[in-house]
Amino acid sequence: MKNIQGESYEIRLDNSTVFFKGSLRLSGSEDYAPILEMLKETLVHPGAPIVLDLRVLDFLNSSGITMFSRFVIEARDHAGIHLHIVASEMVPWHARSLKNLQRLMPALHIRLM
Amino acid sequence: MTNSQTFGSYKERSGECEYLTLAFSPTNAPLRTRWRNNGLSADFLGDYVTTFLPANGGQAAVGSRRNEIKYAVTFIANELLENAMKYHERNVDIPIGIHLELASNYVTVSVSNSVAAPQAQRYKEYVENILQGDAAEMLLKQQEESAAGSESAMSCVGLLTMISDYDARLGWRFDEHPAQSETLTVTTSAVLPINNAPGASA
Repeated sequence: MKNIQGESYEIRLDNSTVFFKGSLRLSGSEDYAPILEMLKETLVHPGAPIVLDLRVLDFLNSSGITMFSRFVIEARDHAGIHLHIVASEMVPWHARSLKNLQRLMPALHIRLM
Repeated sequence: MTNSQTFGSYKERSGECEYLTLAFSPTNAPLRTRWRNNGLSADFLGDYVTTFLPANGGQAAVGSRRNEIKYAVTFIANELLENAMKYHERNVDIPIGIHLELASNYVTVSVSNSVAAPQAQRYKEYVENILQGDAAEMLLKQQEESAAGSESAMSCVGLLTMISDYDARLGWRFDEHPAQSETLTVTTSAVLPINNAPGASA
């Protein structure tokens, strides 16, 4: 299990599930690089479904949107990747912006709970 | 005399309705500290707006709609402040300002900062590009380019997301300084409809 923590957020990798919590407003791709690297670790074992649990990720800035887009594009370009995003109807950005990730990767499965 | 140029649906500050203005002198604190301030200010503006939203409809709808508008205002304020902090010209003593105005059916968030003339020129070209294109398509294209490593220095994913995901109408005003021709003040305004707020009918 791996963990990345900041003042307003916490990210935890457990097998092939990555849990996000809090508010992500880092200042650009350099600051997001460790998180993107953690996400990419899930691509090492294709076959097992990868789950991004965003249900309690309350805020995401545009640099964070770009980080998720980069990961989704990388997952799309790998063979045999099954990617699932679990999101919440209570968090406004989920319904608004996650659809863009699906346009980048049509096979992406998004579940709004 | 000041020379001004506007692009898109630029919304002037009217000062006639409920409003709030904050100003920051970015030379006084390191970037990391200022970055934290973006989030605090944006959260404050989002909270502030909900106090004045009209209470139409049933209780559940009101709660969900307020939540949507609060998030949209917070996101827009945060992105405009982040851009201002990134591109602000530090050699001039002009503060970064954020202004929020509440009308009966829309909210305006506008942020102003100074920029060096060459930077302002690039920004104008980008703005014209945004105004002529489809924001949703441009957003996808930008993300593909970014993943391929050919990201432009000015990505504007935040601006495109405001238009594409939050139905914001954006406008820009560039003002030349009478005494400093190498520096311009750019003000970006984002108008967010309240009645047709994102997710309001969901």
